[in-house]
Amino acid sequence: MKKSLLLISVLLVLTTLMFACATTGDLEKVQAQQKMSDAKADQALRDAQAAKTAADAAKVKADETSVRSENALKAAAEKEKAAAEMEKAAAEKEKAAAEKEKAAAEKEKAAAEKEKAAAEKEKAAAEKEKIADEKAKKAEAAFGKSMKK
Amino acid sequence: MERLQGLTETAGMPMRKVLAEPMCRISDPSPFCNRLRLTALCIFIFSLSGCAATKSVQKTAESIPSQLEKEIERNRFPVARGEDVIGRLAVIRLEKGDTLPDIARHFSLGINAISAANPGVDVWVPEAGERIMLPLSFILPDTPRKGIVVNLATMRLFQYKEDGTSLLVTTYPVGIGTDERPTPTGRMHVARKAVRPTWHVPASIAVDHRKKGDILPKAVPPGPDNPLGEYALYLSKSGYLIHGTNKPASIGLTATNGCLRLYPENVKTLFDDTPVKTPVLIVNQPYLIGQRNGILYLEAHAPTEESDALESEKLYKKLRTIEKKTQRTLDWKKVREAQAEARGIPVPIFELSQGSEKEAAKPVEVEHPETLYGKPEIPALKLEAWYVLAADVRDKIEAQRLAAIINHQGPPIPARVVQKSDRYRVIAGPFNDGSEAKKAAKRLKIDLEIEGIVIEPVKVN
Repeated sequence: MKKSLLLISVLLVLTTLMFACATTGDLEKVQAQQKMSDAKADQALRDAQAAKTAADAAKVKADETSVRSENALKAAAEKEKAAAEMEKAAAEKEKAAAEKEKAAAEKEKAAAEKEKAAAEKEKAAAEKEKIADEKAKKAEAAFGKSMKK
Repeated sequence: MERLQGLTETAGMPMRKVLAEPMCRISDPSPFCNRLRLTALCIFIFSLSGCAATKSVQKTAESIPSQLEKEIERNRFPVARGEDVIGRLAVIRLEKGDTLPDIARHFSLGINAISAANPGVDVWVPEAGERIMLPLSFILPDTPRKGIVVNLATMRLFQYKEDGTSLLVTTYPVGIGTDERPTPTGRMHVARKAVRPTWHVPASIAVDHRKKGDILPKAVPPGPDNPLGEYALYLSKSGYLIHGTNKPASIGLTATNGCLRLYPENVKTLFDDTPVKTPVLIVNQPYLIGQRNGILYLEAHAPTEESDALESEKLYKKLRTIEKKTQRTLDWKKVREAQAEARGIPVPIFELSQGSEKEAAKPVEVEHPETLYGKPEIPALKLEAWYVLAADVRDKIEAQRLAAIINHQGPPIPARVVQKSDRYRVIAGPFNDGSEAKKAAKRLKIDLEIEGIVIEPVKVN
């Protein structure tokens, strides 16, 4: 058993030695390949960065646009709301004015009626007074007549 | 000013004594003397404020319009030399049941005078508590002051009498002739006098009465039905008399046939004071001007339509002369106002001596007498008496007025208002028998055109 194990180890070492002992050409080849891949990687990185910058700029722009549009929307909504409120206020004002006008008209009507009633009352009083005066005058005339011889 | 000067002068003396002396003896250490001075100073200060208080009281008293007086002169007045205004204006507070004719008679005024002085006051049913003016101030007519002077416009008679060196005037209200039969103006005299005269009915009056269904006898003997009353002064102008009356409420009315009527109580005095041949001057002066105490007054009475323009012109001429004499302008607005109002009250219009600070006399307030002289008495209702239903009306005032008018007939017919649910009945009576009630009903018909219903007595078993 010990012998087989030893053999295997020797084989392994030999294999390893075999691989380790590569040629200089191989090495240069590997190095060139590595350089190329580095350049490619750099290029990819730069591209990625540029893309990211562009994307960032686009995002900023998009964000800005979005904010602006949002603001515009908001402003429009507020304007609309204000307009609606104004309209409502105007309608209410109009309604109040109409009610006031109605109340004034009613008041005027009531005043006119009151005035009319007062005038009628006054007329009635004047009439009554006139009748009383006439009665008094008549009585006075009758009295004056009765005082003659 | 005089009163003020006097005050300063009398106040000056103690001031010198009290204030000057301590200054000389300021070193006097006596505490007794100091206290004495202090007391004297206090007394002086109090006396000063006392004077001020007295002054303020006097001022307050001046602002009170009048003082309540029990009596007021109404007929007899002295006439001061150079003065033309007599008497005083007065006011009285009416009581329930008063009528202006009753107030007028008590204060020897005519119904015309009291009505004109109190425009708007109901003659027959004035309000109790109302204050009314008694026009007991008169401007004497612009005539010689002797004998009897009658001013038809004011319906007042003035009788002048010399009393030693002074002149006395007695004045009475009168009733005068109607527009159809006016009292004549001009000079005449008392031709004769008669007590309890008989009235010989003039033909024109007999005709008037006949038209109303009242047949008058040719002569009416003395008594309650005689319109001449108890005394008569026959004037030299034939057919015209100054006499009494059986209708006292007619004084101050144009109700006679040209004669002059006086209240029964006044004609008696006039009769006794007037000898035969006394001159009588009858004038018509609606605008009177006269002065008293340096103030010029205007007394305006309602003129007749015909005389208005002429009398106004006479008045303005007199006033313009006064303006020229005094070289000052009259308040013509005041003159025209007094003229338009025609209240028959002397109105101050001009201060004759400028700066004299004389004031026109203010009216005095007279206490209401317990009973008014001559006020008709209404006997109590009796079951067994006869009555006349004179009216049945809805208006209380109308009923009261009618009852008052019936009460003031001559001879009087007693009448009262009796309320029956919401109506008011005017009941004349009580009368002792049916004939008396029928006679009253006839008089109501003839004199007042009232169709009265005779009410028989309630038969008591």
